[in-house]
Amino acid sequence: MLSNKSFVRKTRHGRVIKVVREHYLRDDISCGALFCPQCDTSKAALRQTAENILVVDTNVVLHQMDLLENEIISDVVVLSVVLEEVKNKNLSLYNRLRAIIDNPTRHFFVFANEHHKDTYIKALAGETPNDRNDRAIRVATQWYQEHLGPSAKVILLTNDMDNRSKARESGIISETVQAYVQSLGKPELLDLVARSDAMDIDKNEAEDLRPNKKAVVYAEHKVMSEITAGLHQGRYHQGKLRVNRYNPFVAYVGSESVGEEILINGRQDMNRAFDGDVVAVELLPQSLLPGSQAVKIADRDDEEEEEEPVGLVPASADDAPQESQVQENSQLTGSNRPCGRVIGIIKRNWRQYCGSLEPMKMPGGSGGNVHALFVSADRRIPKIRIQTRQLANLIDKRIIASVDSWEPNSRYPSGHYVRTIGDIGDRATESDVLLIENDINSRPFADAVLACLPPLPWSVSDQDLLHQQRQDLRNLCVFSVDPIGCKDIDDALHCKLMPNGLYEVGVHIADVTNFVHPGTPLDEEASQRGTSVYMVERRIDMLPKPLTEDICSLRADVERLAFSVLWEMTAEAEIVSVSFTKSIIKSSAALSYVEAQARMDDSRLEDALTADLRNMNRLAKIMRQRRIERGALTLASPEVKFEIDTETHDPLDVGMYQVREANQMVEEFMLAANISVAEKILKHFPAYSLLRRHPVPTPNMFEPLLRTAAAVGVHLDISSSKALADSLDHAVGDDPYFNKLIRILATRCMTQAVYFCSGELSLPEFHHYGLAAPLYTHFTSPIRRYADVIVHRLLAAALGLSNLPPQFRDRSTLTSISDNLNYRHRNAQMAGRASVELHTLIFFKNRPMDAEARIVKIQSNGFIVFVPKFGIEGPVYLIGKGASKIASGSTSECSWVVDEEMQTVRASDGNCTFRVLDVTHVHIEVVEPQPNRPKLQLTLVS
Amino acid sequence: MRGLQFELESGQQRRVSKAQERLKDAAGSVHAAAFVNVGDTIQVDHEAGFLRGHGTQVVNGELLATVCGIVERVNKLVSVRPLRAKYNPETGDVVVGRITEVAPKRWKVDVNCRQDAQLMLSAVNLPGGIQRRRTAVDELNMRSLYEENDIISAEVQSLYQDGSLHLHTRSLKYGKLENGQLVTVAPYLIKRLKQHFHHLKQYGVDLILGCNGYVWIAAPSESGKSSVSDTPMDLSNDHGSEMSSKRSTTLIPSAQEDGKRDLSDDDKVRDSITRELRERICRLANAVRVLAALGLLIFVESIIDTYEVSLSWDTAVKDMLAAEFCIKIVEREAEHRDKKELAI
Amino acid sequence: MEFISPEGLRLDGRRPHEMRQLHAEVGVVAKADGSALFEMGNTKVIAAVYGPHEVQIHSQQLHDQALVRCEYSMAAFSTGERRRRGKSDRRAMELSLVIRQTLEAAILTHLMPRSQIDIFVQVLQADGGTRAACINAASMALADAGIPMRDLVVSCAAGYLNSTPLLDLNYIEDSGGGPDLTVGIFPKLDKVSLLQMDSKLSTDLFEKVLTLAMEGSKAIAEYMRQMLLENTQKLAFARGTLKR
Repeated sequence: MLSNKSFVRKTRHGRVIKVVREHYLRDDISCGALFCPQCDTSKAALRQTAENILVVDTNVVLHQMDLLENEIISDVVVLSVVLEEVKNKNLSLYNRLRAIIDNPTRHFFVFANEHHKDTYIKALAGETPNDRNDRAIRVATQWYQEHLGPSAKVILLTNDMDNRSKARESGIISETVQAYVQSLGKPELLDLVARSDAMDIDKNEAEDLRPNKKAVVYAEHKVMSEITAGLHQGRYHQGKLRVNRYNPFVAYVGSESVGEEILINGRQDMNRAFDGDVVAVELLPQSLLPGSQAVKIADRDDEEEEEEPVGLVPASADDAPQESQVQENSQLTGSNRPCGRVIGIIKRNWRQYCGSLEPMKMPGGSGGNVHALFVSADRRIPKIRIQTRQLANLIDKRIIASVDSWEPNSRYPSGHYVRTIGDIGDRATESDVLLIENDINSRPFADAVLACLPPLPWSVSDQDLLHQQRQDLRNLCVFSVDPIGCKDIDDALHCKLMPNGLYEVGVHIADVTNFVHPGTPLDEEASQRGTSVYMVERRIDMLPKPLTEDICSLRADVERLAFSVLWEMTAEAEIVSVSFTKSIIKSSAALSYVEAQARMDDSRLEDALTADLRNMNRLAKIMRQRRIERGALTLASPEVKFEIDTETHDPLDVGMYQVREANQMVEEFMLAANISVAEKILKHFPAYSLLRRHPVPTPNMFEPLLRTAAAVGVHLDISSSKALADSLDHAVGDDPYFNKLIRILATRCMTQAVYFCSGELSLPEFHHYGLAAPLYTHFTSPIRRYADVIVHRLLAAALGLSNLPPQFRDRSTLTSISDNLNYRHRNAQMAGRASVELHTLIFFKNRPMDAEARIVKIQSNGFIVFVPKFGIEGPVYLIGKGASKIASGSTSECSWVVDEEMQTVRASDGNCTFRVLDVTHVHIEVVEPQPNRPKLQLTLVS
Repeated sequence: MRGLQFELESGQQRRVSKAQERLKDAAGSVHAAAFVNVGDTIQVDHEAGFLRGHGTQVVNGELLATVCGIVERVNKLVSVRPLRAKYNPETGDVVVGRITEVAPKRWKVDVNCRQDAQLMLSAVNLPGGIQRRRTAVDELNMRSLYEENDIISAEVQSLYQDGSLHLHTRSLKYGKLENGQLVTVAPYLIKRLKQHFHHLKQYGVDLILGCNGYVWIAAPSESGKSSVSDTPMDLSNDHGSEMSSKRSTTLIPSAQEDGKRDLSDDDKVRDSITRELRERICRLANAVRVLAALGLLIFVESIIDTYEVSLSWDTAVKDMLAAEFCIKIVEREAEHRDKKELAI
Repeated sequence: MEFISPEGLRLDGRRPHEMRQLHAEVGVVAKADGSALFEMGNTKVIAAVYGPHEVQIHSQQLHDQALVRCEYSMAAFSTGERRRRGKSDRRAMELSLVIRQTLEAAILTHLMPRSQIDIFVQVLQADGGTRAACINAASMALADAGIPMRDLVVSCAAGYLNSTPLLDLNYIEDSGGGPDLTVGIFPKLDKVSLLQMDSKLSTDLFEKVLTLAMEGSKAIAEYMRQMLLENTQKLAFARGTLKR
């Protein structure tokens, strides 16, 4: 069955290394046709009823994925040589292709032509790898035609003319994608066909739409060999291009060879690179360096001028425009930041983009093929030229488009339409856009996933009761404290004074892993989603609703399964012992924070529950105090809360989220539970624990905070978290909000905490800076976070209750899981924030209003203000186009003197000075400077 | 083909395998079942009972082979004889060996065995007659008889339980060997025969086929003197002459004198070996090497036969170790055996 | 990294339970008492056995059994990157020890008291599974040298990658970071003389991987026996058998 062919390959890895790999050719590879008499048809997918059996080449997969994803394309043979090439060139396309292949209704089949004895070919002398692969595709196609005989028509789809003609020479039926799609007789499908050079008939047509613009011609990209050589010699630098979130004409390339970020200024120098592309950059000579004013907010380039948007306050350094921080550093140090220009793109980061078409006149005769410009919702993405036959349908819709190419002689990249999301301005549509942009799966759960759920109605069974390892804690007075209206209650508490004077305190967490078993579709899905996403008006669950709101939810007066952490504590909140057990509980009350607080405050109440609450609160206060003494930071985030109209789901009011003692009490015990669990699992699985760490911020991350603080005369000590916490405590200004503001500013200097696999780092790196805890993990919310599910399994295995699932024993798997969790977690937060922003916008749309604001930063043409009431932050322009007409400086001649060093702005006539952290009043309203991109505008009110 | 370094062309390869095939057919007498591998079960009649011989072990009542080889049954005794293995000594074997060490009252001799053999001082004939007592002085002068790296011929005197074996050279035909070539071959290629010492008159060369796979090919020791002869000798008769001829020295010579004489002696002998004689020795040695490489049985007739064939084919001495000659020898052997079979 | 495609083929085209191609030759070193070349795919190992012979260092002599010594080395040209490798680096020392212990368990050392057996193993080409190949080569060389053994020692590796037990890992799979288990067995006696694994694996999976490795070993054993038998027959036929 085996035959052996080893071949020699040379790879460049610094040195030339000879790689010899075996390559076995087989005769047992099935052709995948259901009607094939010779092959094993158990895994076959190609139907006899299919009109054609399609064979696609690599470029078709790379460029026409949207078409392949359409249902109409079926019975496709994907050759392993194609699959391999796609995998090497673009992993996300590979994953999409795999998804199609895995879908049995699509009838795609992977044929391992590289290991089939009749279709494997060796490269001929002088043949390039590309030519060899093309030949392999033709050989395989031919083999298929011969193998299946005349009963099936095998068509090779390729847009490569040379390949096509060679195929036809050897008797293979070969078509271009366009020709094939046309032959299907569904004109709307043609919109999905990506544009290729061959069909790019009339470039001028597109330009004609914008007659006042002459074509912008970009520099040609250097060829790959030259780039490689240049990189090697140090002439060029490689790095990932990141476009400034607030100014799409400025980008940065983080290059290891230069050691700092290279500034790329303007579309011309960005040379068709997209955000996230890996590019090769050439440094510009010093003389060409733009002055420090280069970082002024916008480019001079025509009407596309961008301004900093008004948005939510960044929650952490990850969200904040890091570039601007670095920028300011360089300004301080004399602006010798290197500038460069992109000379080639090493790896594209194209994906699908949400957006809308730029409004345009309807050309005469609808249904014709027209060119339109697509404007992405993501401001970092340039406009994309697309071709469509259904302009009338799309013009007021949010759509998804993808990019196909960007020729040097074209001002905009060209792409194609993928699908429609909904009407512009519709709240649901805009919400969907946010979800799509943040890669959040909001589709309903698949049947296979739902099939994993236990049948409803569910109740604790005798089997659970009799289970030896499950402790019966129904006799305890357990209660839960959550926000109002919370349905997915995943934690509950109890507190009992024991005869020996110690307190028994328990944290009971919903036993999700009792229902979500590793390896099931349910588990896979949850692992992919990673977290529930909380939008303003809806929640996208990680687990199906029956689990989150019923079976796992620790509601009042029903018996539920739980995973409990039980401590024995002294009255001074010293933990004497800790134990973990699976349990059955019956919650006696599901309180809200407000209720819990009210009970504790109401001195008339003397019932047992209230007594427990007060005891716990007392313990929690001690624990909290101790934690703060250890150096835990009390940070603040300006969370806002909307009141939503129950029918229209439109926001009615907005206000700051109020934190009560009850919140802190619950939080304290959750922290303690997480820490106890982290210690336990790390002890048992030193290399395979999933923990959460918060890296110590570097001093230069604190730079903006320190400068702001210095400007208002506050000294902050950042040498340790303890020192910072203390100095934050001492930073008390003359008004009560001052301290909170400083804390908000401090919070955004920090990076986010991340999940990681304990085997990947050393113990000191496990430290959680914000909590000042050496170990931390997430255990307490398994209903809405997958990390907690993993930790539950780890803990169960540590207690010997179950076996550790095998994938946890693999460090790399665990690392990839934790990477995904971090990614999902960040996206969920971004989507949540974006959702709040969206609702803020909707809120202010009909009610422009004035509000009190605080200046948080002074910059060259104005200052950034923060509106505490609504938690929004945005620029107020004093100079330039967007400058507000302020009453005092009644005319446009009014000039302002900005001192960024001292963080002050003075009117030139000297009668008005703004300092950082000053209180001002701003007017908030919604404007729409560009069509379909409404935004908040803040203007100064005298 | 062990021991010879050459690449075979595809044509030659085919000839070799064909010849080997013929050899296989010709041999005929060994039943395929007689071959066993390590760990193979040997079929035995359990009811009749059996005796476990060499190369076997009993595990769970089953008789298993512990070496790769041929099963041999003698009455109830079942044993496996490995082909390629170290020399397995038997009392009375004629061996050729090399002195590795001079130890108190004994020499250690490498005879291609599991351990070095021991040659006791008491097991050699000393100058001055067999009845002489071994004195401390004799012990001190052992090196003057045999020293390290000397090659000797000897006979296995006795075997001991711990695997050690003792040799003796108490005969005229045994003793130090000089002026020749040692060729080592696998011991299984040398049959135990009555006669292991040969004087090949037609070439004027002495040949000793040591049972341990060491083959000695040399110029005759001292002109005309046949310590090696075609006929077995009466050992007791010849003691005196052996002493005088082989080593006309007393055991206690003055060191200076001895050295000088030895030197001149050696020179004389060396001169006496003509180029032709050297060539004959080499040709014989190569004949042995070729046979060994081909795994053919080595005995006087096969050596002479190979020698003669090489002459008749006009093969130069050096070319005897080349591929072509070897292949022709195999083919010849195959043909030979075919004929023999036919004759039978 | 994807080591097995969803179609069930490994990177080199094998299926998870398939071994690489085997090749073995006996009697490749002229001067040795026994020698063998063993190839598992691109892993190529040569072994030579000298002895039993007189013990070289008298103090090491064992009066009731043979002394077995083993030396493992890697040829400078055995990997893609040419590098001179010592015989005394940690890896080589460890492997020497492993090979010696595995084989010593099979050799009937008590039959050869006061003698010494030297085993030299050299990797000519390394492509994963060298440990197993070394043991197989040495085992064949011992059989060729006619040294009495309880049974052949046969070794095979198996691993666990992409949640699948894989037989006979090659270099790329070996460097995949998953568990790599090498087992050495006596095929006839059904006993294990070597079991090595450096990473953690749950017991049920371990069981599966072990079973796979044992099955692989038995397949190798069959091949080795055949090669040895052919060799014995060839020798016997060339020599002409003694008629009894």
